[in-house]
Formats: sequence, C-alpha cells, structure tokens
Amino acid sequence: MTPGPGMVGGAAAARPRRLMRTAGLSVIWLVLLLFIVYPLLILLSRAFFDGGHLTFDALFATLKSPSSLRALGNSLLLALMVGVVGTLVGLLFAFTVDRARLGSRTARLIDALTFLPLISPPFTTSIAFVFSFGPRGLITHDLLGLKNAQMYGLTSTFAAETLTYFPIAYLALRPMLASISSNFEEASFSLGGSRWHAFRTVTLPLIIPALANAFLLLFGCSLADFATPLILAGSDFSVLPTEAYLQITGMFDLKSGAILSLLLLVPAGLVFYAQERFVAGRSYVTVTGKAATATERNSVSSSARIALLTFCILTVALILYFYALLFYASVVLAFGANYTLTLEHYRVIFTEGLPAIKDTLFVAAVGMPLGGLYGILVGYLVGRTKFVGRRAMELISMLNYALPGTIVGIAYLLAFNDKPLALTGTATILIACYIFRYSPTGIRTTIALLQQIDKILEEDSASLRANSFVTFRRVMLPLILPAFFAGLGVVFIRSMTAISATIFLVSINWSLITVKILENMTEVALGPAAAFSVFVIVVVLVVTGLLNTVLRRMTAPSLRVSRIGT
Amino acid sequence: MISMAASSLEITLVGVSTVFHHRRRGDITAVKNLDLHIHPGEFLTLLGASGCGKTTTLRMIAGFQPPSSGQIRFGGEDVTHLAANQRDIGFVFQNYALFPHLSVFENVAYGLRVKRRSTSDIESSVAQGLRQVGLQGLGDRMISELSGGQQQRVALARAIAIKPRVLLFDEPLSNLDAQLRVQMRGEIARLQKELAITTVYVTHDQEEAMAISDRIAIMNEGQIVQIGKAEELYQRPVSPFVAGFLGNTNMIRGRVVAMQADRATLDIAGYRWTLVTTAPVKIGDMCDAVVRPEALVLTRDGDGLKGVVESRVYLGAKAEYLVRVGDQVFQVVQWNPVAGELFKAGQGVCVTLPAAGVQLLGAHISSDRSLD
Ligand SMILES: Nc1ncnc2c1ncn2[C@@H]1O[C@H](COP(=O)(O)OP(=O)(O)O)[C@@H](O)[C@H]1O
Ligand SMILES: [Mg+2]
Repeated sequence: MTPGPGMVGGAAAARPRRLMRTAGLSVIWLVLLLFIVYPLLILLSRAFFDGGHLTFDALFATLKSPSSLRALGNSLLLALMVGVVGTLVGLLFAFTVDRARLGSRTARLIDALTFLPLISPPFTTSIAFVFSFGPRGLITHDLLGLKNAQMYGLTSTFAAETLTYFPIAYLALRPMLASISSNFEEASFSLGGSRWHAFRTVTLPLIIPALANAFLLLFGCSLADFATPLILAGSDFSVLPTEAYLQITGMFDLKSGAILSLLLLVPAGLVFYAQERFVAGRSYVTVTGKAATATERNSVSSSARIALLTFCILTVALILYFYALLFYASVVLAFGANYTLTLEHYRVIFTEGLPAIKDTLFVAAVGMPLGGLYGILVGYLVGRTKFVGRRAMELISMLNYALPGTIVGIAYLLAFNDKPLALTGTATILIACYIFRYSPTGIRTTIALLQQIDKILEEDSASLRANSFVTFRRVMLPLILPAFFAGLGVVFIRSMTAISATIFLVSINWSLITVKILENMTEVALGPAAAFSVFVIVVVLVVTGLLNTVLRRMTAPSLRVSRIGT
Repeated sequence: MISMAASSLEITLVGVSTVFHHRRRGDITAVKNLDLHIHPGEFLTLLGASGCGKTTTLRMIAGFQPPSSGQIRFGGEDVTHLAANQRDIGFVFQNYALFPHLSVFENVAYGLRVKRRSTSDIESSVAQGLRQVGLQGLGDRMISELSGGQQQRVALARAIAIKPRVLLFDEPLSNLDAQLRVQMRGEIARLQKELAITTVYVTHDQEEAMAISDRIAIMNEGQIVQIGKAEELYQRPVSPFVAGFLGNTNMIRGRVVAMQADRATLDIAGYRWTLVTTAPVKIGDMCDAVVRPEALVLTRDGDGLKGVVESRVYLGAKAEYLVRVGDQVFQVVQWNPVAGELFKAGQGVCVTLPAAGVQLLGAHISSDRSLD
C-alpha cells in the first residue's frame, strides 16, 4: 500500500519526533537503572550474598540478635502509637475545621499552622522538644526546677512524631469529611438520632477507609523517620533506622546496617499490602473537590464545639510554642543558662556554617530544575505515550520515594562507593539522591494533569486537538507548567530538609545543613542548631510562598494542583 | 385499611422568614414572612422554580434549620425551636441519603434502633415497611446493589418505618427517569392516603404536583403566591405568574368595551369577544385573559380572530400550533387532530375563543411573563 500524499508530510514529521522519543526513553531508562535499580540490587547482594553465594546467615544472625529484635519491636510499637494517635488528632482537627462552624479566618489559620510541621526539617519538633523538656529545658529545668530531667525515650519520640505527622492525617481526612453530604447526618436526625449518634453510626463508618488510609500513612512515616528518634529516642530506645545508622557509622558494619534497613521493608510491605487489600477502592465517599452542600451543618452541639475548638487551639498553640522556642533559642546566648539576646549564633552559622549553607543551597538549586524536568519527562512518558515497560517505568520511578530513606541512603552508599561509579563524597550523589527520591510528586502531578487535559481537550473543540505548536504553547504548556513547578517545589523543600538518606552520603567536601544541625545537637551546641533550623524554615517558607504565587498566577482554576509541600 | 386521619397532625407556619448570610452575595431572604396552614392528613405540595425557597421552607418544618423569625406549630405545639430529632418526622431527601455502609434492612431499621425497639418489633416493622414499598425480601442487599427506583423505595420505607407525625419530601423523584417518576409518584400518593400522615412535598415539576397533591402552594421569591387545589390554580390563577407556571397559557390582552350581568366584552385588535366572567372589571379596563392552549379552536374560517399558522408540531395524540394574530402569538393545542383538519405553517386560520371558563386578570396586575 502506498501512503497518500497527505500522509507523506505526516510521516516525515513523525520520524524526528519518534527518534526524539526513543532517545528520551533510553536516557530515562538509563538513569532509572543507574540510580534506582542498581543501588537496590547492590544493597540486596550485599545483604544476601557472601562470596558469590546466596546466604541468609547474616539475616538469621541479625534476627537472633536481641538488639536488632528490640529495634524492630520498638519501631513497630512507635509506628503503631504514632499511627493511632496521629490519626485521631488529625480526625479531631478535620472534624473541627469542617464541622464546628469556624469562621473562614480561623480555619485558614489552623490550616497554615498545621502546614508548618510539614515543611519544616523533620527534627524541628524534636529540637524544640529538647529546648522545652530536656535537661536544661524551659519547662523541665526553668519552670519545674528539675535537675537532669530524663526526657529521652519512647514517650517524647512518640509525642514529637505525632505532632510532626498528624497534619498528614488531617490533610487526608478533611476533604473526605467535607464531601460527605450533610443529608446523611440530617437523615439520622430526622430518624431521632442525636448528633453523637449520627457521628457514631453514620459519619464515622463512612470515613473508616479514610481513617485506615491515614493510619497507614502515619505508620509508614513513623517507621521511616530517622531524625526524631536520633535526637529524642536516647540510647535505651533504639529503632531500626537509628540502629542501622549506628551499625554503619559506629561499627562500620555495612552488612548488618544493610540487613537492618531491609528489616524495615517487612512492616513497610505489610502496610503497602494492607493499603491495597483493605483500603483501596473501599471508599463510600468520593472526593469531588468541592464541599458537598451549601447548607449549614448542625453536626456539633455548642459544648462539643467548644471542646473541639479548645483541643485544636491548644495543639496549635503547642506547635506555635515550639517554633517560638526554637526562634528564641537561636537569639539567646546559651539556652537554659544565659538568656542574653544575641545574634552570635547567626554569625556562627554564616561563618563557620557557611560551607554547609552554600552546599545545601547548591544541591537544592541544582536538584530543583533537574528534578522538575525529570518529573515532567517521566510523567509525560508514562501518562501520554505507549511503550513496552511503561508500567515498569512507573513503578521503578516510585521506588526510591516509597522506600524508607535509610534503605535508599545505604544503597547509594554501597553502590557508589567504589569504581566504576565512585560518587561518594561528591555533590552528584546528593543531588541524584534527592532527585530520584522526591520527584515522584512531580511525576504524579504530571500524570494527573495530563488526564485532566485529555478531558478538557475532549470537551473542547477538535481544533484544539490539532497537533500544532500553537496548541502546545497555548494549551499544553500553561497546563503542564504547574506540574513542573510543583515538582520543583517538592525537590527544593526536601533538599533543604531531608536527612534520613543523605546522612549516609555527606562528606568532608559536601555537607548539608540538616547534618550540621544534628552534629550541633550531639555536641550540645543548641544555639547554632536553632539558628540553622530557623534559617531553613525561613528559606523554605519564602521559596514555597514564591512558587505558590507563581502557580496561582499560571493555573486555570479548574486545574489547580494541591499546594506545594503537601 | 384503617384510616388514621383522626390522629393526623396539623401544621401551621406563621410569619416565617429565613435570612441567609452569604459571604459574597450578602443577606439572602430565602423565605419571606410566610404563612401556611396544612390540614391534618393533607398532601400539600410546594411548587416553584429553583431557588424560590421550597427546600428552605421544608427544612424549617423538619427542624434542620431554625427560622430567622416566625413560628412553626405542629398541632397546638410550638416546635419552632425543637430539634429535628425531637419532631417525629420522616424526611425523604433528593439524593435519598441512604446509609451506604448499612444493608437495606439496617437502613429501614435505623430509626427503630434509635428508639430502642425490641428486636422482634424491629423485624416486623421493617418487614412491613419493605412490604409497603414493594421491596419484600431485599433486606439483605447493600444500598449500592439497588437500582435508583429501589433506593427511592428504601428511602421511603426508612421514613415511614418510625411512623412519623409528618412526612416531608424534597424533590424525591428528580433522579429517576420519566417512566419511573410517574410510577413512583402514584405509589407515594397511594401510601400517603393509606397512612394518612400529613405530608409536605417539594417539587418544581408542575405535572407531578398536580398528579399527587391535595393542594398546591405555588412559591415565588420566598413567598406563596397562590394556594389551592390543582384545578383551582389551573382554572383561576390569581396572576400571570401562576397562570404561566402551571401549564402553558396564552395571555390575551384586550380592553373592556361592554359589561352585562355576568358577561364582559373585550376588544382585541378590533374583534369583539364576549365571555362569562365574575371578575371585577370596569368598562375601559385593560385586561389579560388567561386562555389555555387547549381552549382555543382553530378553523379554516369562521367567527374569531384571523391569524396565520407560524409552526406546527404533530405529536400523534395532539398537534401544537403557534398562531400569529396581529402582534401576538398564540399557543393552540388541537387534541385528536385526525378528527379535524391539520393546518400547515403559513396557512391562514381562524382562532375561536371560548365563551366561558376564562380567568380575567386586571391590568393593574403586572403582566410579568418572564417566568413562563
Ligand atoms: N445555606 C444557604 N446559604 C446561603 N444561601 C442559601 C442557603 N440555602 C439556600 N440559600 C439560598 O436561598 C434561596 C432559596 O433556596 P432553596 O430553598 O434551596 O430553593 P429551592 O429549594 O426552591 O430551589 C436560594 O437563593 C439559595 O441560593
Ligand atoms: Mg430545593
């Protein structure tokens, strides 16, 4: 069959495009294999191969060691507690904001303040905990006059993690609650039910899948959390990530570290399984993005309203108190001893600490555009084109994001320590770690936006579908740019704040603020630690604010993506 | 069937108003100083266009929402500030609001469990409720396994299972297809008569309202503009709005040129039309005559208004015409068109006006026809 005259031009134009796509695909596959698959394979081989033989001896040895078992048990206990209590607190917040007839200003204030822990470095709360309840803490030492208060252990780790992670539950639950029609409660009222009865028999059962989902999210976060236990758990309460870190940096036992980190996969896998098996697709409630009805809800009595509001205000006040404390600690000479105001700590971080600041900003600044680009590219390939292995690409691209940071960090450490890819000690390894760990948000956003774009184009005239440059520039670009910026934002924020993976990858040449903060904490240089934290929070807030502004400017209201950093 | 009319409840709304404070639109008076008296055991329908305040009125009767001012009485009891769960009502929602996590049985049993009835009592009551709506044997199904019509029936069974004093419906049929709507409205009407529970029903569908109600209250902008039996409203609308809202209508404007005892003669573009009327009109008044399309008769030639057929829609049982007479266009319905003559577009015809059964509206009533 000979192609018609009309097809010749099309085929000619399609060839370079196909070539470009093939080239793009190859590059993406190459980096995915190099920076995701390869390190994980190395990690597995290090854990389970000895002298070229598959062996589980090391695993059994680890499982038999009481300290590893204790770490596993502690990790599970902590994650369970954080999951349950964090979900509960998140539920109370969501219910209060959605049902307790708050003014829109109060609701927005609560939103903003619960947003804080999400974008702060993961150990901000922990540091503030030390300032508040530590041996020289404001409350324990200055207020109660306790000498050598013992605050390290399960309780404070649990409290700090709950306070850090409950906003995730809040964010997951609130839209669920909002999209439950008020008619359900009213139906219960009309049948004689009280408000409490309606809540217990209608609202609560309707959001059980969402609650389970929130619980699993928090469970996973706590399980993978490295920074909080490192600061607050103390020596008696070890958890898997800290134990693995200790094995590697303290004992130089890479094999045990690798196996300990892999133990994290057991509960993580269970969580994933539970999510797929029990939660996915079970929901009675579909989130439509808009509130269900215009009618005012009458879900809580005025006394319950006051109780809920009090709880939320106290929690928010606690968050504020911690941040204020952190700031205060950064401007006094010696927290707990000498409360003379000073900018000394800021001088220190901008002189002695300057290399870390420069390095962090460099890593974040380089990682940001690369990560944004990578996110859009993978998102586009997965969401828009068809090729063999598309699903595999999607899954692999999510791996480093889904795995606990400790695993990723150790895998990178093992993989890039020697030739042929000796990257340890370079900025490249840090940047690569962040890109592949934190770009999946951009990938997801791109895929989601592409689906919406398809819908819009279907609804719009066929002329828009014409594959011309104008269409791309006028329609596709404005629509896809938000995904790019969302991707940028997340990579930047995480580059500034993350630690669990990169703690294994820093070197004398390349350090990071977060690592410096941890060092300061162990050296009891609390002032600089506080000043560094404040600096990170301010930078993150400013950049997030800027990106959100740009986003809002650019985005059609119907396509608005969720805020950066959430 | 034992009639319970004796124990039925009378509902009274006195000067009820609702003001919503809207962030952008400012204060919205959804219901304005509304008086309404619903007889014991009556089926009353609130009919009106979207946004006229029907749902708000119904929700106040239910107790979901307090009025900004005014009083609501159930029988002699002032329930204005009584919570919904104390009012003993059955409410059927537009979206049914069936509990998706509960079975059909548990949905219907919900109110009975709240009242802590015994297990055997609940079982027999639910069985009876399901039988009344024709769903016997489906108690074990989940809500998502039911069709729209079946869900509607469960909602109905759930509302009547607690034997409420008042039944309230908010556009319950609007999510069903046309055929099912007709069937369900018949069943709702039958069940209501059987139970003799005072019922308030909200709809924007005039045919539905006429088919099931004892009385209809037509609402506009938060007020009741006319209340009465369907035939009263249809035949004697008090305003062009009501006339236009309930069925299609022609407003034929003319000047009164002569008056006898119970007759008036109107001048319409030179044609003299004498009709029986009791309307208080005087010679010289401008009047609007409410003439339904089916009351006009088309002939090839004869005594009447001369006009030209603008368009024709043939629907088998009837044919609908638009006929231009001077500067007015009349709607004319010709029933059983095969018996007479089918007219074509462009054809000259004669429109014969009825001599009786016409409502005359005085010219002082504004001729606002924007809502027909
Ligand atoms: N909760 C509310 N807040 C603000 N305005 C409302 C609310 N509920 C109804 N309204 C307004 O009140 C008017 C009447 O609404 P409604 O009673 O729902 O009308 P209908 O049921 O006849 O369509 C409308 O203008 C509507 O926008
Ligand atoms: Mg309504």
